[in-house]
Amino acid sequence: MDTLSRRKFLQLSGAAAVGAAAPLLTMEDIAHAAQTRPLPLGTPILIMVTLYGGNDGLNTVVPYTDPLYYSMRPDISYEPEKILKLDDQLGLNPAMTGIKTMWDQNKVAIVRGVGYPKPDRSHFTSMAIWQSGAPVTRLSSGWLGRWVESQAVDPMLAISLGSVLPPLLAGEKRSGSALPLGGLVIPTGTFAKDCQKLAKVASSDNKLMAAAATSMRTLFSVSNTITPVLKMPAPVADDLPTVNGGNAGGDSNLAQQLDVVAKLIAAGSPTRVWSVSLGGFDTHANEANAQAELLGTVSAALTRFASQMKNTSRGKDIVTMVYSEFGRRVKGNASQGTDHGTAGPVFLIGDRVKGGFYGDQPSLSNLVNGDLSVTTDFRDIYAAVLEDVLKSPGEKILTGWKSKGQYF
Amino acid sequence: MENDRLEIARLYHRFGFGPRPGEFKAALNNGLAATKAKFLSVPTIDLGAAQVAEPNITNLGTRPDKKTNELIEFSIALRQQVKDLPLWWLDRMALSDHALTERMTWFWHGHWATAIGKLNHAYPMYLQNQTLRKYALGNFGEMTTAMLSDGALQFWLDGGENTAKSPNENLARELMELFTLGVNRYTETDVRELSRALTGYQIERPSGKVTFNAKRYDSKIKTILGTSTTFNGNTAAAHLVAQKDCAKFIAERFWFRFISSQIELPSDNSLEKSFETRDISKLVGALTDSQILSNPNYSIVKPPVEWFVGVARYLKLTPSELKTPAQLLAYLDRLAQVPFNPPNVGGWPTDESWLSSASAQYRIQFAAWLVKQADLSALAAIAPNKRIAWLQDELGVLAFSARTRLALDGVKGTPAQLLQLAICSPEYVVSA
Repeated sequence: MDTLSRRKFLQLSGAAAVGAAAPLLTMEDIAHAAQTRPLPLGTPILIMVTLYGGNDGLNTVVPYTDPLYYSMRPDISYEPEKILKLDDQLGLNPAMTGIKTMWDQNKVAIVRGVGYPKPDRSHFTSMAIWQSGAPVTRLSSGWLGRWVESQAVDPMLAISLGSVLPPLLAGEKRSGSALPLGGLVIPTGTFAKDCQKLAKVASSDNKLMAAAATSMRTLFSVSNTITPVLKMPAPVADDLPTVNGGNAGGDSNLAQQLDVVAKLIAAGSPTRVWSVSLGGFDTHANEANAQAELLGTVSAALTRFASQMKNTSRGKDIVTMVYSEFGRRVKGNASQGTDHGTAGPVFLIGDRVKGGFYGDQPSLSNLVNGDLSVTTDFRDIYAAVLEDVLKSPGEKILTGWKSKGQYF
Repeated sequence: MENDRLEIARLYHRFGFGPRPGEFKAALNNGLAATKAKFLSVPTIDLGAAQVAEPNITNLGTRPDKKTNELIEFSIALRQQVKDLPLWWLDRMALSDHALTERMTWFWHGHWATAIGKLNHAYPMYLQNQTLRKYALGNFGEMTTAMLSDGALQFWLDGGENTAKSPNENLARELMELFTLGVNRYTETDVRELSRALTGYQIERPSGKVTFNAKRYDSKIKTILGTSTTFNGNTAAAHLVAQKDCAKFIAERFWFRFISSQIELPSDNSLEKSFETRDISKLVGALTDSQILSNPNYSIVKPPVEWFVGVARYLKLTPSELKTPAQLLAYLDRLAQVPFNPPNVGGWPTDESWLSSASAQYRIQFAAWLVKQADLSALAAIAPNKRIAWLQDELGVLAFSARTRLALDGVKGTPAQLLQLAICSPEYVVSA
């Protein structure tokens, strides 16, 4: 489906969901009627933002005073005066104005040179490694899927936006849930009862048939609690102009995903992990415009989301992590783009985050086969997120990796 | 006999988009050997597929400059073509008598996964589809050479941007990782060297025509996988396809998509040897060997397109004639699988990825929408007490579980609901 009609579909279904809400329910009504166990106030909530395609870290956090940056990337470097300066060496891509504002408020941690041992330049292998959280042992489950399995059964615990579940939330036996944009409309009446009969796992089921049955069961439990919430208007971001410059429109898919997340968090959904994503970062050609547009979308969507959440009792509880499967080659190619590389920056955003830089900036004069060296293992961040945000011991989930604290 | 039923069900669901009415039972009567032979011998003319008229997909030329009537006409035509292309293919999948060719073309589309989004034009995608069909059961080496001259693939992976002066590695990396050898069966140096060999291609966008420009080609010696010579695209492709790892990789991909993405291809398999000459039909033959097809552990989830085409074949529905075709594409989009639009160059995911709570919901709605448009008189003519057993044979299901039989029993008096539940049951969604 082309993007135009996808967007149209989203608009139509979104409008229908809002329009169908005859009496506007209060938070209490929803909590009661849907029998949710609202998340206790003060419980930290993790938002994972996956950038698919390999985001060019060097043009995200730019070493704007390093002459090597300009000599190695004559076609696709940013002039120093355009950079949003963070200190006297590094600055953000000009499109990331919203994140810059949050940085100034000390709410953004930028972890530099993040990767894992023996970097793999395949999108699929590298993303699988990042999402599994196991670069050495290669597990097929996701690190947050394993966290889900360490908790009591609750289909609302970890939710991914979109109809396909990312490996990130897949466990060995239990997984997080997927929630399509526009929400879930379940069959009703007697037919629903018949469908629910199919949702029981049969003793003769093989693993996949059991999973098919479970997906139906999850559908009924998730949608019973979520559907009324989706009919609510999203929290208002009253401190943002309604029309803002280059990234106006708010029509990007990421913004839509975060809008749904904002509604559900505001309503008290007992969800501790949310997964959203944006694709298109595989900028082999004509990178500058494409990447700036994407980073602008990320920055604007996250800023809007933070602003929406600020007006709720959950604003202080949210920690957002932004990552991609790899950075890109330092040298540009002939098509004003870059090929697959290694380390890249990871962003942690939120009131609970201790803002600032972490990890060493990979040196441009000391490249490994033309690529940035990895200075921080992503498991350091995962371990801290598990312990400080999800309040769970990280070692078991990360095959023995210990948290070194910091960040929060 | 039970094993024959399993093998015949797998032949239908994995190599043929599912049985038409009465077909499965007839196959059980004919026996496994005869059924397999029928599956593997492709007729010269497929009368079913021949009913599907070729779509009106043409080279629309470059986009007119200004806001003229020409631009409006162009945009309307482009939108129409982008919509017609997947409907045309779904019709072929649903209507072909011998579905193996379309099934294999569909496999190769996921293998050389190219998405229409970056190209914007339907025409080069249509040409690529014809190439994939032409070689679907042919020689993999010839297919690889043809794909290097395919405008859609070249444009998708920035092949035209890859020049002697400064290579772009996108195509070279994916050619080794995803198309011919598999990840980690080459070094980063091989990627760089191969990208030099793949220089010189230029792509004309609306037409998808690929030309060779000697000025942009790096004619110097390259060393790829230990061999040093003045490789170009064709010789490098032949070099990759001749590698032992190529047979291993293609065997692995067939295994992953047709047999199991849960259990790895056993190391002592007969598939790699069957692919010695790179004859794809021989590999398909080896894949349908009873040793593999009778193993009860190899179940696989039907991806949304295969599930839909299976239902359409059984219900005798022509996809482009559904009310409305746009709604059909919307359902497939919600289930995250629309032909010509894979999510990325690695193709679509498998198994559990299709089993989210969201897809369960969409599948139920989609099933209701399809069943509503079908003629259910054959099912209605069966006595209610016999309908469940009858449907099990009609749909080519190995065996409905006690759970599903109980659910179906509750609606056996209403053919539409019975069928809707049956095609949403775990036993139909998953090929046992």
